[in-house]
Amino acid sequence: MVTRWVSVAVSIGAVLLAVFVTAMLFWAIGRDPIEAYAVIVHVFVDPGLLGESMARGVPIVLATLGLIVAFRMNFWNIGAEGQIYLGMFAATGVVLWGAASHMLPPALMMPTMVVTAFSVGGIWGLIPAFLRAKLQVNEVLTTLMMNYIAMLFVDYLVYGPWKDPHGHGFPLTIPFPDYALIPLIPGTTITSGVIACVVVAILVYYVLSRTKLGYEIRVVGESASAARYAGISYMQVALLGMLISAGLAGLGGLSIVSGIIGRLRPRASPGYGYTAIIVAFLSELNPWIAVPAGLIFGGLVTAGEALQAALRIPFSGIQVFQALIFLFVITGEFLKRYSLEVSWGRR
Amino acid sequence: MGAEVVAVGVEWLGAFLSSTVQAGTVLLLAALGETYAERSGILNLGVEGMMIVGAAFSYLITLATGNDLLAILVAMGMATLLALIHAVISISFRLNQIVSGLAITLFGLGLSGYLTFPDVRVGILRAINPSLPMSMAYRQSTPKLPDISIPLLSQIPVIGPAFFRQNAIIYASYVLTVLLWWFLFKTRPGLNIRSVGENPAMADSLGINVYLIRYVATLLGGALAGLAGAFLFIGYQPFWVEGMTAGRGFVALALVIFAAWSPLRVMAGAYLFGGVEALQFRLQVLGYGTTAPQFLLMLPYVTTIIVLVALSYEMIRKKIGVPAALAIPYAREE
Amino acid sequence: MDTSPSKKLVEMRDIVKSFPGVLANDHVNFTLYRGEIHALLGENGAGKTTLMNILYGLYRPDEGKILVRGKPVKIGSPADALHLGIGMVHQHFKLIPPHTVVENVILGLKSPRFKLDVGRAAHEISDLASRYGWKINPFARIWQLSAGEKQMVEILKVLYHGADILILDEPTSVLTPQETRGLFESLKKMREEGKGIVFITHKLEEVFAVGNRVTVMRKGRVVATMSMEKATREELARLMVGRPVLFRLEKESVEPGRPVLQLEDVHALGEKGVPALRGITLIVREREVLGIAGVTGNGQLELAEVATGLRKVTHGRVVVDGVDVTNKGPRAFIEKGIAYIPAERQREGLVIGMNVAENLVLRYYRYEPFSRRAVINWRMVDENAEKLVRKFEIVTPNVRETTRHLSGGNQQKVVVARELGGRPGGKTPRLVVAMYPTRGLDVGATEYVRKTLLRYREMGSAIFLVSEDLEEIFQLSDRIAVIFEGQIMGVVRPSETSYEEVGLMMAGAKRLEEIPA
Repeated sequence: MVTRWVSVAVSIGAVLLAVFVTAMLFWAIGRDPIEAYAVIVHVFVDPGLLGESMARGVPIVLATLGLIVAFRMNFWNIGAEGQIYLGMFAATGVVLWGAASHMLPPALMMPTMVVTAFSVGGIWGLIPAFLRAKLQVNEVLTTLMMNYIAMLFVDYLVYGPWKDPHGHGFPLTIPFPDYALIPLIPGTTITSGVIACVVVAILVYYVLSRTKLGYEIRVVGESASAARYAGISYMQVALLGMLISAGLAGLGGLSIVSGIIGRLRPRASPGYGYTAIIVAFLSELNPWIAVPAGLIFGGLVTAGEALQAALRIPFSGIQVFQALIFLFVITGEFLKRYSLEVSWGRR
Repeated sequence: MGAEVVAVGVEWLGAFLSSTVQAGTVLLLAALGETYAERSGILNLGVEGMMIVGAAFSYLITLATGNDLLAILVAMGMATLLALIHAVISISFRLNQIVSGLAITLFGLGLSGYLTFPDVRVGILRAINPSLPMSMAYRQSTPKLPDISIPLLSQIPVIGPAFFRQNAIIYASYVLTVLLWWFLFKTRPGLNIRSVGENPAMADSLGINVYLIRYVATLLGGALAGLAGAFLFIGYQPFWVEGMTAGRGFVALALVIFAAWSPLRVMAGAYLFGGVEALQFRLQVLGYGTTAPQFLLMLPYVTTIIVLVALSYEMIRKKIGVPAALAIPYAREE
Repeated sequence: MDTSPSKKLVEMRDIVKSFPGVLANDHVNFTLYRGEIHALLGENGAGKTTLMNILYGLYRPDEGKILVRGKPVKIGSPADALHLGIGMVHQHFKLIPPHTVVENVILGLKSPRFKLDVGRAAHEISDLASRYGWKINPFARIWQLSAGEKQMVEILKVLYHGADILILDEPTSVLTPQETRGLFESLKKMREEGKGIVFITHKLEEVFAVGNRVTVMRKGRVVATMSMEKATREELARLMVGRPVLFRLEKESVEPGRPVLQLEDVHALGEKGVPALRGITLIVREREVLGIAGVTGNGQLELAEVATGLRKVTHGRVVVDGVDVTNKGPRAFIEKGIAYIPAERQREGLVIGMNVAENLVLRYYRYEPFSRRAVINWRMVDENAEKLVRKFEIVTPNVRETTRHLSGGNQQKVVVARELGGRPGGKTPRLVVAMYPTRGLDVGATEYVRKTLLRYREMGSAIFLVSEDLEEIFQLSDRIAVIFEGQIMGVVRPSETSYEEVGLMMAGAKRLEEIPA
């Protein structure tokens, strides 16, 4: 399989090229690139920093797994960011309601949050799916616009009705009680959200490769006319697929408020939903690769902070690094296609 | 008593309109460029990234040299470079325009933050202007572009100061809007651009260079996004904040759809969306800040979705003329 | 008519053009004179449009020479062609719907180079139109116009660009009879002005209505060129369809059984929302092949999709095995045992990015044993694939091979295998709707597909065969229904009819009053 090999080589090449260009950027401002990369590697070695990294990786992984489902059915969901915000909204809503009404036993708190975050995120994702299936409305633009609506909606809540009355006027909700937080894996510094990521990856893999829905998603993604011929309802598949896709992003939102911040605040996601798009592409829509790749990207966020603290390298350096990986990976697509044509020509 | 209230009201309205025009101009410039790109068939989700890079460079250059014109030109040039990347990926490589644009936005946001980070910034400023005093290099603001009053016109009550006591870029945006509208609809190159966005294969068969037109339109889009970014900084809010475009590039994208790909309608829409921003700001000043300005800020996005839904109806789409080949790569075939 | 060499507008000599697997033009000679309407007659796939696309610069010939006004030329693009005064109006309009008539007409002109003078151009276009008895609002947008008006704009565009050599590809297919008469009058006027017109058609009456001369093409070759005075309908029909040497397929005579599919006065819309089927009544029985003959685009696709439940009918009934399944959706049809071999195998019949085993259950994955509840049983899917690959002799390294990598013939075998042998439980299909099942296949694969269809006929299936290949229709069918503009022109038995008769019906020149069931 020449193409498979080329594909892997191109992806690795893209990452290495990004590493090199970023090193040049560090060098240009008078920093030692080797030292900088040592700091980045340290993030994945030091237990405390690793825990932080994994916690940040979880929302990225969950959103990526969701995006894989959408992208496999050729549905351009750019809206993971908004779906994350809806998940944060839902999870926080459950906590606030539970805290105020005392009607939710602590043991039921987390399960309720999970179900609610998934459902609310998912329903938010149904809107562009319905518009696309029913009226052929371009999902790229609707999902993009809905990101801002979701973000502003959360802003409204934390500046308004959900603001902590004892928070000195800061736009923050009350801190979550312990039972509404995602616990660490006992004996480690690592969030148990990582386990959830692996479980979700297994589920996504299972749905895509073993179920009728997964089969339908792949057929729809490859050829809409073949799907019609096979008697597959685009509406049904698009709705179910986006429910899963956006629902998982919603869980990602839950993992932010319950796993990183411990409360809701404005702009609680620094663009994890967009990072997830990069990770989805980098992992070639493969759920197994998405888990480590997403966790590494979470680590890069921590690494960015570490770089700024230790070497006075701007945090944005890491954003540039991520964007470069993205740019090179998608440009590598051209090389893959070209090499595919070449290898076909030889046949 | 009554006259005083009226006077206060008029003054408030004047100030509101004035900031509406300023906020609107940021969107107007970016959306004009994107209108051209989309008319030629290229969707550019990188506008946000190009704007912020434009803003960052206009900040750096004005700080280092104090030369506004130079700042504007460099800002436009840098944004055009980013647009060139988008053009190569989406026109020559025929790869996915959505992904390419997003990547460029992320890159632009990162790069602008990197270059304006205090340590880095000082290095860059010193490199451009070795005699720059250290205290200057740490400044986050520069003098705003001066307002110029147009004689007579600026004397018109309320509207006069809002539209005719503004800075040079705003005046340029008036001219540019009309010029770009005229060029698009009344000239042969304009007709070619519109045709390439509708049916590239046919345009090609008639001897029109599809690739060239798409490149030019995309680069123009980049240049104007850079100008929008430069204006945002030196002409509107001359205080550097990382990520200060704050999603305006995506609002501009929404505006293009809202205005259905016409420069004149883009202008009207820009002031409408700009008015939303200005009103939100005014309300905050008046102490209404806590009562949901967010819903006001949602308006551009909500209306854009409504427009998108309306455009899904064949009849409306035909009447308005959505570029039929938008976001579809063109490959010549035998 | 003056056929002196000085009056030659176009001369195409020994044109050869091949596409992968097809020789579209085989040493074709063609001459067009000033002041003539030259009909180019032939079936679909005869090579008429290819030949004219070469003249218009859309294709480059592999061999041969083109002379325009006596000078040898190379035509690399339509822009070149227009420069030489050659314009073509395609079957599918090449206009930009949201733009105005003027904008469409002046697109691609060299002058004015920058500022457009729309008012002047509009005036000139109106004048040009009125010269041929047409009326058009130059500022109307294309989408507001009727099909006839759009065609008018296409012709005006070509004339406005200064062409005196006009190529019209099946121009009447979108026109009403009145519009057609009007078009013919205008064309005659242009002929009087000394323009040369090539009129591509498959309709005999039109050849007689406007042509001065006619060139008949068949299978990539010119079989005759003659002036209209010497031509007769029967002869042209014979020339057009030819007298092919039949290599007889062994076809057992079996008695048809009960009706499987009944269409009763079916009406349906086509892709663009225009009526494509206009009152079709047909019956297909067990152990019977019903062939649908016709020129492509006369409603065949819609007919096949109605028969398989993929397209809704706007009027009429669809009955399968005595049960009314009108508009019940494709799944109901699949469950009734209706197999469908679609025309576009790569786009529709297969998911070429998925593997052979997955493709072999494309229409049956949702039924036992291939899946139970929500879960697919891949072991059963693979077993099914192994069985079908063996039975239908599909050449593939293994059943997990991506279908894209198979040859065209083997891809079609995957479709055929699934549709004929892929029903869960090994049941034979009740009805097989086969659309152009051998298009683009080599001789071996063609024979294989035809034999397989006949084998299933003997096993009791009803076969509904849509083909543009008359030879295939005659060989396989027990009855032939001829479709023209969404209506059945007649149903005949191959032994009781002739190519000429079917050809006349296909061209809309003959209609049988009584349609035998």
